[in-house]
Amino acid sequence: MDIAPIIAALKRQKTAAALIAIEIALSCAIICNVLFLITHRLERSHVPSGVVEDELVYIRTAGIGASGGDDPMVRAREDRAALASIPGVKSATIINQIPFGHSSWNTGVKLAADQQQTSANVGAYYADEHMLDSFGVKLIAGRQFTSDEFLNFDDVLKGKSDPPSSMIITKTLARRLFGDENAIGKNIYLDDTKPTRVIGIVEHLIRPNFGSDLIDADSSMILPVRLSLGYGQFVLRTDPGNRDAVIAAARKKLKEVSPNRIVLDAKTLESARSDYFKQDRVMAGLLVAVVISLLIVTALGIVGLASFWVQRRRRQIGIRRALGATRRQILHYFQTENFLIVTVGIVIGMGAAYAISGWLMHQYELPRLPLYYLPVGAVALWLLGQLSVLAPALRAASVPPATATRTV
Amino acid sequence: MLKMTHLAKAFRTEVVETYALRDFSIHVRTGEFVAVTGPSGSGKTTFLNIAGLLETPTGGSYELDGEDVSRLGDDARSRIRNGKIGFIFQAFNLIPDLNIYDNVDVPLRYRKMSGAERKKRIGEALERVGLSARLRHYPAELSGGQQQRVAIARALAGSPKLLLADEPTGNLDSQMARAVMQLLEEIHRDGATIVMVTHDPELAARAQRNVHVIDGQVVDLGEAPTLRMNVAANA
Amino acid sequence: MLRYYAWLAARSLKRNPALTALMVLAIGLGIGASITTLTVLHILSGDPIPEKSARLFYPQIDPRTINDYHPGEAPAEQVTYPDGMNLLQAKRADRQALMTGGGAVVLPDDAAIDPFSVDARYTTADFFAMFDAPFQYGSGWKAADDDAHARDVVITRSLNKKVFGGGNSVGKTLRLQSTDFRVVGVLDDWRPTPHFYDLNSARYSDYEEVFLPLSTAMELEFGRNGSMDCWDNTPDGDQLHSPNCSWLQFWVELDTPEKAKAYQAFLNNYSDEQRSQGRFPRPNNVRLPTVMQWLDDQKVVPTDVRLQVWLSFGFLAVCLVNTIGLMLAKFLRRNGEIAVRRAIGAPRREIFAQFLVEAGAVAGAVLGLLLALFGLWGVRQQAADYAELAHIDPTMLLMTLLLALATALLSGLLPAWRACQVTPALQLKSD
Repeated sequence: MDIAPIIAALKRQKTAAALIAIEIALSCAIICNVLFLITHRLERSHVPSGVVEDELVYIRTAGIGASGGDDPMVRAREDRAALASIPGVKSATIINQIPFGHSSWNTGVKLAADQQQTSANVGAYYADEHMLDSFGVKLIAGRQFTSDEFLNFDDVLKGKSDPPSSMIITKTLARRLFGDENAIGKNIYLDDTKPTRVIGIVEHLIRPNFGSDLIDADSSMILPVRLSLGYGQFVLRTDPGNRDAVIAAARKKLKEVSPNRIVLDAKTLESARSDYFKQDRVMAGLLVAVVISLLIVTALGIVGLASFWVQRRRRQIGIRRALGATRRQILHYFQTENFLIVTVGIVIGMGAAYAISGWLMHQYELPRLPLYYLPVGAVALWLLGQLSVLAPALRAASVPPATATRTV
Repeated sequence: MLKMTHLAKAFRTEVVETYALRDFSIHVRTGEFVAVTGPSGSGKTTFLNIAGLLETPTGGSYELDGEDVSRLGDDARSRIRNGKIGFIFQAFNLIPDLNIYDNVDVPLRYRKMSGAERKKRIGEALERVGLSARLRHYPAELSGGQQQRVAIARALAGSPKLLLADEPTGNLDSQMARAVMQLLEEIHRDGATIVMVTHDPELAARAQRNVHVIDGQVVDLGEAPTLRMNVAANA
Repeated sequence: MLRYYAWLAARSLKRNPALTALMVLAIGLGIGASITTLTVLHILSGDPIPEKSARLFYPQIDPRTINDYHPGEAPAEQVTYPDGMNLLQAKRADRQALMTGGGAVVLPDDAAIDPFSVDARYTTADFFAMFDAPFQYGSGWKAADDDAHARDVVITRSLNKKVFGGGNSVGKTLRLQSTDFRVVGVLDDWRPTPHFYDLNSARYSDYEEVFLPLSTAMELEFGRNGSMDCWDNTPDGDQLHSPNCSWLQFWVELDTPEKAKAYQAFLNNYSDEQRSQGRFPRPNNVRLPTVMQWLDDQKVVPTDVRLQVWLSFGFLAVCLVNTIGLMLAKFLRRNGEIAVRRAIGAPRREIFAQFLVEAGAVAGAVLGLLLALFGLWGVRQQAADYAELAHIDPTMLLMTLLLALATALLSGLLPAWRACQVTPALQLKSD
């Protein structure tokens, strides 16, 4: 179809055509960025934790009285053993932090003793010998800790012992610190005294507290340090279907063996993840609502204006029909017209989308909008435009040729 | 009442300048009923537009009711249109969304007039055209002749000094046209000044005086007493 | 005349109910979204203690090692115990308090109530007067009680209700962990938002329910909450008393700008003095932000909330453009009516007024308000821990009204202007 006459006609309705183009441009700019924000959020909330999430429950306790003669180290070991003996519990551990948990332990690590700046800030798991089994983290290289490698946390805290002699780190951290080299056997410094040797690498182990940087989120290390009760929480591994029963049994068991402690929290790790990303889910939901509302408003706007044009040009359409234009040609006329306007809007909108993305990067430390979002947004709006104009265009096509001979 | 002297109206495009009116002079006295005739494109409508202050002339002078109105601004012209001129259109031009009463009310709304005063005038105007019973009807519910009578009532409601009619019977069949014409004659007898543009020589003949426009210039044909007497006999 | 136009507007809007609904809904939705997000932002970025936030300061010094030192970076966010005590005891400010968050288990006398844990604040005597905490009964403890490690506790109204059934409980005994405390005061409802004096805990929810002397809590080894930053080994493993672990918040009240200036100088002197004793290896890095500066510095308003505000205004812009287009179409459809009105003698401004009134028809405003209320209700259903704070206040109500009016008029401006440009005519032309 020849577009010259369409453009000529559009020039006579500059304002209305410009308004639709502006609306499309704004929608395009917003929708491209919002779609990206949504994917970004969803990506974040699906980040792998590296642990068998659907098999874990965690229990946080608090002591009621002063420790009163009870050695917290001994108490911790006995409580853990009591929990491990609950039917259905495959493994139990006491640990300083859990993925998606409230507390997080972080340490700056160095690659040389006399290094002034730390090489990376790393999430530190202080684990006993049951931790790897209980968490179900996947060891992809190296070995587990041997029993002689474990230290007591109180000794570490009080500086009575050297740093741990060995550690297990995540694949992400290994690549971050050592690039493509084999990390096993490499030395890492936790302070400026003695090095800690990397003896194993796990596929993933997410740290409790992370932002939008997923590399940073997966930068964790496991240290062979046994905790006392004051700093640790229990994690139990069981069958997914068994978790509620295990939680109930664990509460009961702890009341028996540790009457002067109360249970603060006893939940599944899945619920911890769900809580952790609640804000992201709400935001993603909100963003989806924005996109849908924008599409609806824009579509209705196009329907409204196109209907107005058709009505205003009824006589003109009638004359064209009388002069031999087919229904299809009338239909195509309005479809082409819409396509032209939407295209102008999209071109402006893509520029705006890119500008907004730059601003968002600057303001909210978001990554740059990937370019492939632009054609996606463009196609969506072209479709939207064609869909919206269909009904008015069909109405135009059904104007009878006799309209031409009738006076207004 | 209406006096145009050496009036000109030119339309400029990028290429040419065309004159719709050129050296156009006419004088309509108070109480006259003048018919303006002429072939299509002769400048009748331009004359009426300028007479009704819808357009401004590009040259010459125009005096209305003793006041030079050829150089007035939009607001002043609006005020004069509203206060001194009543329009009767070929296509009636009633506002379809308003009922009869509200249509007649429109010009009065643009004057600072009390509600009671407006009501009185609307009542009188509709009485005059014989449509008092149809206040709540909408234009679409009336026949063409009735619609034109409403339009006349609307023109009369503001008690204008000058009535301008543009082919007032052009959209009506002959029977309705005759009734509308009689109404105009009655209004004229009651003292109104009427200028009517028409291309119908029979209708023109019923006016007091005929002005013929050809190529934007006036050819005054003077009074037409014979035909007028015939009309009187018919009535 | 306005009444006439309002009447005409109402008729015109009723004649095209679908179009009217679309315009009102679009504007209403845009405004509803904007007002909702603005309200949340307004609440979250509010001044928690407006009467004296400009006189309350959060002194910052930098005792950290030279490792990881970057010139120009902010000083430590909290103070160490030795520094906190030194500053506290120097008494150079009108009021000063050292504090940390913590948690304790309450063992009620009433056997029917199970032991439960509460959030606690361990602080010093000036805390209550400095932050204008209102007392329902009794008062805070004295500075001497800090020195004496007194077993005194101030509880909140809600805890008083829960444990003692309400009433004046001053003098009663509250058992925390395994120690008996004497209730010296019951706070009235008090909830500075955000929780400015300690941003480690949830910033908009979970407020502490018991307040007790820091000295007492440390003696009894009560559990602490918050963040701790250690930059060097701690002698004998005692992080709490270590000069190398910062974990306490220190606030001062300085009633005049001169005093604030003097205090800044004092902090510099203190840093010099510490360096002469072998601490503070970094160059002096002293800051003295007010409450609002501190909140700003800590980016206390979630970025999501700001993003939502921008987003909702972007959405409103689309709705606005949309409505301008629809109104333009609607007005120009009445070309004929306008031409006749103009011929009959309506001046341009009257036509403009007529159509602007139609644009401003209050429907949008009313609906905007409704949707704002609805939106807030929706936010309240969601999980965000600050959501329960969202409610509509008079400022926001007024703002909604103004925004609705401004949007409606703005969307009508161009169409009404175009409408009044229609030339008066004798013949209705259609193309």
